[in-house]
Amino acid sequence: MKLKRFMTFAAVSAAICAGGLQASHAQDYPTKTVTVVVPFAAGGNTDTFGRLVAEELDKRLGQRFIVENKPGAGGNIGLGDLARSKPDGYTIGMGTVSSNAINQTLYKTLPYDKEKGFAPISLIASLPNVLVVNPDKIKANNVEELIAFLKTEPGKHTYASSGVGTSIHLAGELLATKSGIKITHVPYKGSSQAILDVVAGHVDMMFDNIPTAAQQVKAGKVKALAVTSLEKAALLPDVPTMASVIPGFEATSWHGLFAPPGTPPEIVEKLSKEVQAIIADPAMQEKLKAMGVTPVGNTSEEFKAFIDAETAKWAEVIKAANVPLQ
Amino acid sequence: MDIFANLWLGASTAFMPMNLFYGFIGCLLGTAIGVLPGLGPTATIAMLLPITFGLPPESALIMLAGIFYGAQYGGSTTAVLINLPGESSSVVTAIDGYQMARNGRAGAALATAALGSFFAGSVATILLAVAAPPLAAVALNFGPAEYFSLMVLGLVASVALASGSLLKAFAMIVFGLILGTVGTDVESGTPRYVFDIPELYDGLNFVAVSMGIFGICEILRNLESEHERSVGVKRVTGLMLTKEEFKRIIAPVLRGTALGSFLGVLPGGGAMLASFASYAVEKRVSPNRAEFGKGAIEGVAAPESANNAGAQTSFIPMLTLGIPGNPVMALMVGAMIIQGITPGPNVISDEPELFWGMIVSMWSGNLMLVILNLPLIGLWVRMLTVPYHLLFPAIIGFCCIGAYSINNSVFDVFVMAGFSVIGFALSKMRFEPAPLLLGFILGPMLEENLRRAMLISQGDPSIFVRSPLSLSLLIFAVVVLALVLSPSISRKREEAFTE
Repeated sequence: MKLKRFMTFAAVSAAICAGGLQASHAQDYPTKTVTVVVPFAAGGNTDTFGRLVAEELDKRLGQRFIVENKPGAGGNIGLGDLARSKPDGYTIGMGTVSSNAINQTLYKTLPYDKEKGFAPISLIASLPNVLVVNPDKIKANNVEELIAFLKTEPGKHTYASSGVGTSIHLAGELLATKSGIKITHVPYKGSSQAILDVVAGHVDMMFDNIPTAAQQVKAGKVKALAVTSLEKAALLPDVPTMASVIPGFEATSWHGLFAPPGTPPEIVEKLSKEVQAIIADPAMQEKLKAMGVTPVGNTSEEFKAFIDAETAKWAEVIKAANVPLQ
Repeated sequence: MDIFANLWLGASTAFMPMNLFYGFIGCLLGTAIGVLPGLGPTATIAMLLPITFGLPPESALIMLAGIFYGAQYGGSTTAVLINLPGESSSVVTAIDGYQMARNGRAGAALATAALGSFFAGSVATILLAVAAPPLAAVALNFGPAEYFSLMVLGLVASVALASGSLLKAFAMIVFGLILGTVGTDVESGTPRYVFDIPELYDGLNFVAVSMGIFGICEILRNLESEHERSVGVKRVTGLMLTKEEFKRIIAPVLRGTALGSFLGVLPGGGAMLASFASYAVEKRVSPNRAEFGKGAIEGVAAPESANNAGAQTSFIPMLTLGIPGNPVMALMVGAMIIQGITPGPNVISDEPELFWGMIVSMWSGNLMLVILNLPLIGLWVRMLTVPYHLLFPAIIGFCCIGAYSINNSVFDVFVMAGFSVIGFALSKMRFEPAPLLLGFILGPMLEENLRRAMLISQGDPSIFVRSPLSLSLLIFAVVVLALVLSPSISRKREEAFTE
């Protein structure tokens, strides 16, 4: 009998809870498991940042934050899923410079409404790229010498990338347009094969994400000329910035958290505050810096302004470099 | 010599209890699927791939490798006992092995298969340890031009070495090449044949395609002929070889091992080819050639040694160059990438524990397989008595879970379903699926490297002959092609495959 009464009570209270969800307020959020869509494969940078933040949100908000990988089409598949999910804060997702600033220009059609976009929560971290050259192929010790050298042999030299329209490719295009040099783009599928061919001297140079490139630089296989962030990178403290030669040159690979368009602003605000607190935590700062990453953690408004600026910047580069649209 | 230090490093990895455990699981599973005619190592590894994500890379690869060479052992068991090759590489074993079983020498045949495999496996392991690192040093010289020439050789070799009709094998390779063009073009970023389906932007998924074309398609084929499945197991008596039999197998095992080791290294070669080739060779050189087809022990010893040696040496191009020589190796490459390891020349220096651990685990795995196979034959045979109507829904269930979990996408399940139908239709018309998959894997690499080399050379095609490595590979490809086209060889080839 007792059990039966308890069951009735449980059923009724479950029903009340379900009804209450419809009018849920930011104060109560979250009351159930939250899905974090990562639009790239497990094990990559975006996945790592997503998992790090999801684990902390889990601890701080007392609900499960479960990461779900939905890779494919440069992040468009996962973001399409995110855009279609209910804007109630129970599905959020990761986005990057390629998926949320470059693809807007690069792809003619996206599986979601370009205009509506997403509700930015907070920028988690950004990764600088580093310009590395094969020392046998390129006789240059700094960016000025490189530009001068490439100007003497226009079109004769090559740079590798992890694929058309990636931040690694567009950093190369940015260099070419800003300095007026001509270099041939050699795209690869992913950066590991690309850096290997720069090491072996089949391709002359490339911009690569700092964690992998730093290994090759330290082994003396390639020479690092500059980093693409506005500040010097902790992993390669002796390497100058591109901006010190070409003012304003910035090409970072950034990763942030987004909610579907139409998510209640209170929920976005709450999540943003939590993410900012998570990133500000000294242990997290240390963890990210050890990976060669610059921790950020900004407000929703700051993140939105940043994305708009990035989208405009890359649209200009794509247009100037005549990158074919997909 | 460094090699002992390296082998010691490998032993310390391979003999860790956890890795021994996963190696054992792999061998056990491999033997089981080798025994089951419905499943091959490709489908099994494809299905188990998502499970390995959570394991350390060494354990994951040791287990997957165990499945591959375990299947070479298991396949021979049913081939000998009931004339049902569990694996394509044990097709020729069935010819004389089954006759031996009918003569009451089933025990001797199985013992020969196991001992021959163990010997060949041990030799191939040593070969891997000695020859793989120098090969890897050469590998850094492999730029886009050299890779292109290597792919050309691989494609030519796969036509040359495919069994059955040459024209059909060629058609299948072309079909595979066409399928490989689906997706975003790496050079220009232009989507090809994607029909505005975002899921196709990264191309057809290899795992989904191979599970459809091998796994599900095999089930369809087996269901069709279920009434023909007979389990007429004879009592296995007398495991030991007689002294005379032992003497007779020494030379065939040595020849099979040598041939298998060589063919295994070639892209497009592998275990199946090795077993066919060594059987054909034995049939010509053996002093007892009159007995072939009537239960000659040489007819079991040579192909069984060859397929195991070939299975093992097919790891050389994969581990040192990052090039998959066959579909199983392509899955291994996938497994390594998921584990964050870029297969390529750097694996040996960057991941010595993984590399040497895998090599030593092959030897320990072979030892486990000998121990496993001899006493457990009775159990394997009983597995065959599981009614197929209970077995196949489970296999289909696993395949669907496996396909979905690649990208957490239902689309890949549909791809698998679609390709199972295509695979079934092809098998009805006696087209082999293996060349299709090789074309599908090699095609995109061929195109990418061709265009990349041309970009680097500023459009000058002489880049392919200027590099000595690339030139030798191209010359080798021409020689292989000439051999295939020469009438006497193609006649011999027909003969070998009709045996």
